[in-house]
Amino acid sequence: MDFTVFAQQIANGLVNGMAYVLIATGLTLVFGVLRIVNFAHGEFYMLGAYITYFVGTLLGLDYIAAAAISAVVVAGLGVVANKLIFWPLRRDHEFTILLSSLGLALLIANGGELLFGADPKYVESPFADEVLDIGTVTLTQQRILVFAAAVVALVAVYLFIRYSRFGKMMRATAQNPDGAALTGINIGLVHTYTFALACGLAALSGALVGPTVMIFPTIGNWAVLKGFIVVIMGGLGSVTGALFAGLLLGVIESLGGGYISLGFMEAIGYAMIIAVLLWRPNGLFSTARGLR
Amino acid sequence: MNTNSHGHSLAIAGGVAALAVLPFLAGNAYLEHLLVLWMLYALLALSLNIVIGYLGELTFGHAAFVGVGAYTSAILSTQLGLPPLLGLPMAGLVAAAFGLVIGYAALRVVGPQFAILTLGFGAILFTITNHWVDLTRGPMGITDIPPMAIGPLAFDSARPTYYLVLALVLATAWLCHALVSSRTGRAFLAVRENAPLAASLGINVFHTKLLGFVAATAIAGIGGAIYAHYIRVITPDIMGVHNVAALIIVVIIGGRGTILGPILGALVYIGLLESLRVAGPLRMVIFAALLTGTVVFLPGGLVSLWQRWRNSHKAENNLPATPTGLPSTEGGAK
Repeated sequence: MDFTVFAQQIANGLVNGMAYVLIATGLTLVFGVLRIVNFAHGEFYMLGAYITYFVGTLLGLDYIAAAAISAVVVAGLGVVANKLIFWPLRRDHEFTILLSSLGLALLIANGGELLFGADPKYVESPFADEVLDIGTVTLTQQRILVFAAAVVALVAVYLFIRYSRFGKMMRATAQNPDGAALTGINIGLVHTYTFALACGLAALSGALVGPTVMIFPTIGNWAVLKGFIVVIMGGLGSVTGALFAGLLLGVIESLGGGYISLGFMEAIGYAMIIAVLLWRPNGLFSTARGLR
Repeated sequence: MNTNSHGHSLAIAGGVAALAVLPFLAGNAYLEHLLVLWMLYALLALSLNIVIGYLGELTFGHAAFVGVGAYTSAILSTQLGLPPLLGLPMAGLVAAAFGLVIGYAALRVVGPQFAILTLGFGAILFTITNHWVDLTRGPMGITDIPPMAIGPLAFDSARPTYYLVLALVLATAWLCHALVSSRTGRAFLAVRENAPLAASLGINVFHTKLLGFVAATAIAGIGGAIYAHYIRVITPDIMGVHNVAALIIVVIIGGRGTILGPILGALVYIGLLESLRVAGPLRMVIFAALLTGTVVFLPGGLVSLWQRWRNSHKAENNLPATPTGLPSTEGGAK
């Protein structure tokens, strides 16, 4: 086995994995706090990539500004989706909520195809073609940006949940919504901000990964599947679990694709969640209810 | 009571008679083709309804079992020369075997986890079908599948196929009816409403669910095989997300947990799909909006409109109201 190739595969896997972690963090936050398994989460990733593309090409703004605008706009759209669909249904059976999130996913994905067209697009970034050598490993600057920006965003989210007043309110709501409401926490506000945060993270991930791949209106489907694999592996509701599981999935996929078969690489992730759900249904890292 | 059930069977007989003469009213091959598609979707939706409606679990893997049935019969008839009539039960058996293995694994978890797990199994079956080119010819699909035939009677056009699928739909509808009125069927509903309580009454929740799941997958496999021999070309797309969503939309719009609902939903789906052909990609947006709207505003689906109307009618005449649709799984705090 060639070590250079091996190291390159690991590095590629870590970058992909970090993008998965960003997607999965939002998914797991929404589950932990709102108890919603949001099948539409991947669509916010798709919107993030497309809004970055359109702000960049139509308004002529540079890539970083476009990505930031996209994250904010998508967070706003998340608030609207929560207001119209998930908040009114919050006391309904989980089956109803699952179905409504599926409906929303189909709505955004097909609406996206209608508005953006089905042809692939390419998000312009000044970092996409610049290459950086680190030892024997070669990465584009864009891929390093994916990793670095994701680390910064995740640390910020972690500190926010851990130490800010609002983060404490989120954790209290995750542990016991009724108890949290009794102590005077505005549950509606917590739901709104959590959803906005989750959608913003998904959009950021889309904006970061966008320049490294072609974007289609159906990529949300791919994103939500990756997010679910990570979230199931790490345990629904666990932020630290999502971090380890996401990096693990990225590396395993990369090695599997490099050494076994690219075609069956997609199936590796599904096989992993099946194994995890059957062996430890609450995830590899889970202990108890609440945000961790 | 007697007159009511008499009226009931009269209405069913009238409905079946209407369905039997429909191809003669259609007048052209295109409409007859749509009738076949309606019945095919009704059959598949009835099978999905066993899981979604009676067991109360959301599955995203159903299209994969349709695909397994379609590929089984197509491969048997094109590569081994097996008559399609024998391929049909084989398709049901193979799909049921897949259903048994996957259900045995997946039904250990419930709710969102079950949905995600079936999504994973469905995606694996899709990936295998798409990449195992030696067996399935991969994305190129299987072409020149021979039409279904019973002795000299060939189901190579829309009209005979319509009657074949109609017979299967009626058989499945009768099966669902018999199931719901049987002990096993009541066990299904008890498990759907409150699994721990059902278990405390001595119902083996896992076995009950597995039974329903395997029955649903067997019917899906048979439906897939008929589709393959009717359209005569299949590609892995039959297992794709698009088909998964279509079947769920049909069941939910029509009304889950009812027999009429999936049949009605299939009519609405095929009708809108064809009449809105000019709308292009907008069609799927409309279906998604219909799905979301139904979930939020009309959880019992279209059939619950009729029940609502009948209840308000009864209220005017001071008759006791019958419960509509699926009241107890909707609403109420968890």
